[in-house]
Amino acid sequence: MRKYQRSRHAALFSLALIGTLLTMIAGCSRSESENVTVSGSSTVLPVISRAAEEYSQNNPGVRVIVNAGGSGVGITQLGEGQTDIGMISRDISASEQAKFPNAGFTTHVIGRDAVVPVVSSEIYDAGVSALTIDQIAAIYRGQITNWQEVGGPDAEILVIDKEASRGTRQVFMAVVLGDENAEAPGAKLVLGSNNEEQTALTQSNAAIGMLSQAWLNDDVKGLAIITADGSTIEPDLASIRAGEYPIARDLLLVSRSDLSEPSKAFIEFVLSAEGQQLVENAGYIKVTP
Amino acid sequence: MSNRALINAVFVNSARSATVLCGFVLAFLIGVIVWNGMNAMNIQFLLSASRNFGASGGILYQIIGSLLLVIMASILVLPVAVGTALFKSEYITSPTLFRISNTLIYSLNGIPSVTFGIFGLIFFVNILGTGISWFVGSIILAIMMLPTIVLTTYQSINSIPSAYREAAYALGLTKWQVIWRVLLPQGIHGAITGLLIALARAIGETAPIMFIATAFSGINLPGALNDPVVTLPTHILALAQQATNPDALQNAWGASLVLLTLVFIFSISAMFSRMHLKEISRR
Amino acid sequence: MNLPRLYIAGSAAFAAVMVILVFMVLMMSSWGAISSEGLALFTHKWHPAGGEFGVLPMIFGSAAVTIISLAIATPLGLLAAIFTSELLNPAWRAPVKSALEILAGIPSIIYGLIGVAFFSIWIGNLFDLQSGRTILTAGILLAVMILPTIITLCDDALHNVPQKYRESATGLGLYKYEVVRDVLLPIAKTDITGAILLALGRALGETMAVMLVIGSIDRVPDPFFNVLEAGQSITSKLGREIAESSFGSVHFSALIFMSLILVAITVSLTSFTQYYFRREKRLVE
Repeated sequence: MRKYQRSRHAALFSLALIGTLLTMIAGCSRSESENVTVSGSSTVLPVISRAAEEYSQNNPGVRVIVNAGGSGVGITQLGEGQTDIGMISRDISASEQAKFPNAGFTTHVIGRDAVVPVVSSEIYDAGVSALTIDQIAAIYRGQITNWQEVGGPDAEILVIDKEASRGTRQVFMAVVLGDENAEAPGAKLVLGSNNEEQTALTQSNAAIGMLSQAWLNDDVKGLAIITADGSTIEPDLASIRAGEYPIARDLLLVSRSDLSEPSKAFIEFVLSAEGQQLVENAGYIKVTP
Repeated sequence: MSNRALINAVFVNSARSATVLCGFVLAFLIGVIVWNGMNAMNIQFLLSASRNFGASGGILYQIIGSLLLVIMASILVLPVAVGTALFKSEYITSPTLFRISNTLIYSLNGIPSVTFGIFGLIFFVNILGTGISWFVGSIILAIMMLPTIVLTTYQSINSIPSAYREAAYALGLTKWQVIWRVLLPQGIHGAITGLLIALARAIGETAPIMFIATAFSGINLPGALNDPVVTLPTHILALAQQATNPDALQNAWGASLVLLTLVFIFSISAMFSRMHLKEISRR
Repeated sequence: MNLPRLYIAGSAAFAAVMVILVFMVLMMSSWGAISSEGLALFTHKWHPAGGEFGVLPMIFGSAAVTIISLAIATPLGLLAAIFTSELLNPAWRAPVKSALEILAGIPSIIYGLIGVAFFSIWIGNLFDLQSGRTILTAGILLAVMILPTIITLCDDALHNVPQKYRESATGLGLYKYEVVRDVLLPIAKTDITGAILLALGRALGETMAVMLVIGSIDRVPDPFFNVLEAGQSITSKLGREIAESSFGSVHFSALIFMSLILVAITVSLTSFTQYYFRREKRLVE
C-alpha cells in the first residue's frame, strides 16, 4: 500500500512542479519579445516565411509568426483583429471593405506574380502548350471535357478548382470566367493551397489547374495564352514584367489603421532591397528596382 | 465431407483469412510509418528547428509544442475530473441527477473533435477575444479529455467495496477524511490511467487545435499564454499537402513516426497502469 | 465554509457548465443561418459568394463515406473478432488485443498522410481514374481506421458469453460455425450492435483523414451512387472553410449549422450506445 501512495505523491508533485514551471516561463518571457503575426495567402507565404526568418535573426526582440490559409482567411483574421498583417494575392473586394468598415485597410504591394493555367506534363508534352482564354473557360464550364477537343491526346480532362477564398482562384476566374466568384461546373476536384494543387497535378496525367507561376516545374507545366490576334504569350517573368501576360496580379500585405511599430518595421523590411531580394528568390517580380 | 462440415470449413477459413487480412492491413500501416519514418530519423532531425516550410530542418519545437499543449491540458483537467468523479460517486443520491450527469459526460465523449475546434474558435478566439493561443488549445484539449478521466476515476472509486467506507465512518472519520484517505489513493490511480488514455488521444488531435492554437512558422516556443504554438499534427498536415515534394514527404513521415512513438508511450503506460489498477482492486 | 465540498461540487458544476456551453454556443451561432435561410439550407447548391447555402452535398458525403466504411469494416471486423475470440489459441488473445488497442490510437492525421501518399494513388490506378481523391477512398480509409475498434469491441462481446453455452452447444455435436451462428451471435447481438454504432459515430466525426482524400467538391455525384467521384463531407467542409468565413456572417453560421447536425447525430448515437448497450460499464473511447 505504501508503495502506491508514494507513487501517487510523486505523480502529484511532478504535475504541480511542471505547472509552476510553465507558469513561470509564461510569466517571465512575456514582456521581452514583441510579436508580429502574419496570416493569409499561400502564394505570398514563401516570401514572408523567409523574410520572417531573416528579420527575426536581425531583430532578436521581435518574433514574426506566420500562418497560411488563403487570402480570404488573411483578410478575415485581419478584420477580426486576430492577426497584425494580412497576406493577399488579389485586391481587397468591396464586400470585404464593407464587412470591416472600421479596420482602415492599407495595402502594400510587395511583388508581382501571374496566375498560370497549368497542365500535367503528359498533356504538355503531347502538344497542348497554349490555349485561348475562351478554351480554358469552356474547360472550367464543363463544355470541353476531352483533351482531344483542344488538340491533345484522347483523355478526359481532370479539371482542378481551388477553394473559393483563395486569391489565386479569384484572380484566375476574374479573367477566365469574367467574375472572381464564378462557379466552375466542369471542376472535378477542389483543393486549397498551391502545394496541394501542385501535388494533385503531379499525381495526375490529364489534369488542368491554376497555380502561381512560382510553383511551375517539370511535372506541372504552365500554358502559354493565345491572344485574339493569334500570338502566344509565354508565362515567364519577362512577359509578366512587361505586363503582357493576361492573368497577372500584385502580391500584397494589408494592415489595419492601428498598425503597431514592429509590424510597420517588418513591412518596411519586406520592401527594402534585402526583402525584395527574397521576393525575387521566391520566383516573383520585385516592385522596387 | 458432409454439407455441415463443408460450411464449417468455409466459415473457419473465412474468419481466418479476415483476420490475416486485418493483420496485414494494420501491419502495413505501422510498417509504412516506421519504414519511411526511419529514413528521416536522425539526431539532427529531432534536435533542430524546421526550415523552408518544414521541407528541411527538424521538428524539435513541434515536439516541445505538442507536449506543452497536452501537459497544460492535463494540469487543467485533472483536478476537475477527479472532483467530478468524486461528486458522481459520493455525493449524487438522486437517480435522475445521476442519469443527467451520465448523459452529459457521454455526450461530451460523442462530440466530433472538429466541433471542439469550432467551439474554441467561437467562444475563446472570437467572443472572449483571446486570439490564436496555445493556452486556448490546452483548454479545448482539456475539455476533450474530461469524460475519459471522469469515467476511469469514477470506476476505480466505485469499485472500492462499500464495507471500506462503512468501516471508515464507523471509526469516526469525516466524509472528507474518508475521501482523502480511503477513496483518493485508489481514485488517483484510476485518474492517471484515464489521463494516459486521454493523453494518447489528445496529442494526436489536429482538428481541435488547428483553428485556435497553432501557427505555421516563425515561432519556436510560445513566450506568453496568448502566443500560438507549432505542433506535430499540424506540421504533418502542412507537409501532407505537398506530398509530391520528396523532402517534405520524408519529413512528414519522420514527424509521423515521432508522433506515433509518443502516442504509443502514452497508451502502453496506460495499459500497465490499468493492469496495476486491477491488481489493487483485487486485494 | 467547507472547502473540500466546495471543490467537489464546484468541479462537477464546472464540467456540466462546459458541456452545456458547447451546445449553447453551437446553437446560438447557427441560429443566423436557420433564421435567414430556413429550408433553403436543405438544397444542393453551396455557393457562399452567391448567397446559396445548401448543405445536402455535405450531408450526402458524410452519409456515403460512413456507409462505405461500415460496409467494409463490419463484416471484416466481426469475422476477425470471431477468430480471435473463438478460434485463436487463448494464450495469443491478450497480446493480439493489446496490439489492436494500441493500433486504434494511431492519430487521424497520420491516416490522412497514408491516404494521400498511398490509398488515393492505389484507388486511382485500380479503377483507372483521373484522380484517386474520391468518396470511396475516404470510405476505405475510414474503414481501416475503425477496424481495430470494431474487432476489439466485438471480440469483447463474444468473449463475454459464458463458457457453459459453448460447452453445451459443442456437447450437442454442433460445429463451430453453428455454435457461433445459433448461440454466440444471438447472445452477443446487443453488444455487437453497440460496437458498430460506436464505430459509426467515430467515422461520422472523423475530419483530418477524410479532408485530405475526399476531393472536396460540394456536389452530389451523378448518379448519386457513383462513389468514384470526389465529394465533400461535413467534417472536411468544416476543416477547410471555417477559418475563411468571417465570424457572425451567414456563411459562418451555415457552417456551424452543419456542425450542429453532425453533433446531434453523433451525440445521440454515443449516448444511446453507451447508455443502453453497455451492460457492464467499460471505458470506450
